[in-house]
Amino acid sequence: MALIYYIILVPMVYAAFAVFFFGTAIRLLKLGLEPQRAPQMPIFPVRRPRLFWALYDTFLLPTVRRHNPVFWFFLMLFHLSFFLLIIGHLELIDDYRWIQIIPHEIFLGNGFIGFILSLCLLFFLFRRFVSPNRDLSIPEDYYLLILLFLTVLFGSQMDWARRWYEYGNLSITEYRNYLQSLLHFRPVLSPDLTEPGHSFLLVLHVFFANLLLIFFPFSQLMHGFLSFALNKLRRG
Amino acid sequence: MDPQMQQDLLKLFRSKLDRNMRLYLETCTRCGVCTEACHVYASLGQTRYLAAYRHELVRRIYKKYFKTRGKWWPSLGEAKELSAGALDELKEAAYSCTGCRRCMVYCPFGIDTQMILSIAKLLLIGAHTEPEILTMLADMSVAKGESLELFKESYKTGMKNLEAEVLKKWKSEAGRTAIPIDVPGADLLYVALAGAHSIVPAAAVFNAAKENWTQSFFEAVNFGAFVGDPLKTKLIMDRIVNEAKRLQVKEICICECGTAFRIMKQWAAKQPFKVSSITEVQARYLREGRIQLDHKTINGPVTYHDPCQIARNGGVIDEPRAILRQLANDFREMAPEPQYNWFCGGGGGLVALGEENLDFRMKSSRVKADQIKATGAKVLVTACENCHSQLNHLNDHYKLGVEVKFLSSLVADALVP
Repeated sequence: MALIYYIILVPMVYAAFAVFFFGTAIRLLKLGLEPQRAPQMPIFPVRRPRLFWALYDTFLLPTVRRHNPVFWFFLMLFHLSFFLLIIGHLELIDDYRWIQIIPHEIFLGNGFIGFILSLCLLFFLFRRFVSPNRDLSIPEDYYLLILLFLTVLFGSQMDWARRWYEYGNLSITEYRNYLQSLLHFRPVLSPDLTEPGHSFLLVLHVFFANLLLIFFPFSQLMHGFLSFALNKLRRG
Repeated sequence: MDPQMQQDLLKLFRSKLDRNMRLYLETCTRCGVCTEACHVYASLGQTRYLAAYRHELVRRIYKKYFKTRGKWWPSLGEAKELSAGALDELKEAAYSCTGCRRCMVYCPFGIDTQMILSIAKLLLIGAHTEPEILTMLADMSVAKGESLELFKESYKTGMKNLEAEVLKKWKSEAGRTAIPIDVPGADLLYVALAGAHSIVPAAAVFNAAKENWTQSFFEAVNFGAFVGDPLKTKLIMDRIVNEAKRLQVKEICICECGTAFRIMKQWAAKQPFKVSSITEVQARYLREGRIQLDHKTINGPVTYHDPCQIARNGGVIDEPRAILRQLANDFREMAPEPQYNWFCGGGGGLVALGEENLDFRMKSSRVKADQIKATGAKVLVTACENCHSQLNHLNDHYKLGVEVKFLSSLVADALVP
């Protein structure tokens, strides 16, 4: 078991990040180097400044708000929570004064960010069970949502355990030591991290997160990077 | 499908893959927001007419042959073999999509279904399964461009015969030709469709505005674009571009034909002339006081159908309204925002297919008929030949009781000295 824990928590993490960074970079580079043969074909009326409106479309999803407000609500909630989740993970690595402008406990959100994300992902998943979304969906869509859900669920469990069940054996210090050691390429898996009863949650969380990172550059999750370019095409 | 044919088709597929196309093909999350966008789906309620479903048919082939993931784990993205069956599906998708790009207004990423389906149309051409009539019409246009000298004189005679009709609408100054042709140094080159309805009213308005204009030898419609053949599209477009360069005009004015206008405006690239639609030019004359119209000549409620290629895809939105507000005493908008106006259901070459798909065109445009009915208008105005034909058919089929009119004809009829 210790070996499995080690593989998931150390080499697999490095491999996943390598695939994520290089895979994403290569895909973006390949797209950027493609020739552009078609002319600009915006949708009119064109509003200016176009760059601003493309950013507006990318981050506020006005078309979804207009045509499917419930979906938009969950999408905004999901993306906002996801952003906070990234900040939360950054704080698990080190203290950042700019993040603590509004003082808060690490991990921010008091356990609710993971909870909201889980709900949103369940909504995204279950709406695909209903026609016509069911007819549009392909296996990849379900796998990705399930993978995201599992990653969020096990990650949140660790947070909930500390905050809601008063399970204090795994604290921020243990996570920070582990992540710092990975970051400095001197990986250390202390018994404080791998032996408590909830360690398996961490291992599962990291395992699913690794899979997600590996899958990211090859999936439609790339929309996170491509959405702006596309919206700019529409805005002209 | 034999392997050689498959390879040839994949080569055609590859020829369409530029940066924008790859962005469109690689980003869709199948979120389903586009569900309500397509008039065919809204009218018929069948999944195969969803915008995302249509482009997914192309995307599956893309994954199979152009993405590593599609080769290793095809079932994950439902990557699909390019087969005769797949071509049948592509044909259904491509020729039930009118290319109105209403779905782009819905999609959170702005994915261009028309652009993606241009791959399907090209594959159908490669497999010789495209609608034959469209290819024939495109070939005829290309041939006309290649042998201008053969029909020049007969064309001039035809135009001469139309001059009396132009003069009935507007008396030209003495010595001025009612329909000038082949005038080097003219300011404006007018490109019409075949048929007096496209030439006479426009000529009367140009003459009333004292425009230094000349009529093109070629007709505006681009059947190459309808059939989805990029080479023929360019050849047909280039005939007019070359004529404009030869005559050294400052502006090309495209008649009431949505596709012709959009192709010329967006695909002609940077040229020494500007491209305008007849509606823009007529609105400009009004604004500048170069023509005067008899105000409020249309009695009763009037509505305007925005041709997709001219409005949503061409940017001519305010101009027809400015004209109609002068002509009508009761102008009614069809949709609160023009970019959400339902498409007529006849574009993308569908009207040109004639009786073959009339039933489909009527059934798939039910929402458009409902939209027209809801305005309570008695006169339905538009600025596109395809839309005009389709709306006339809808008028008969759904017994809408409206009179379908070209905007340029209304302008010509309302001219006052």
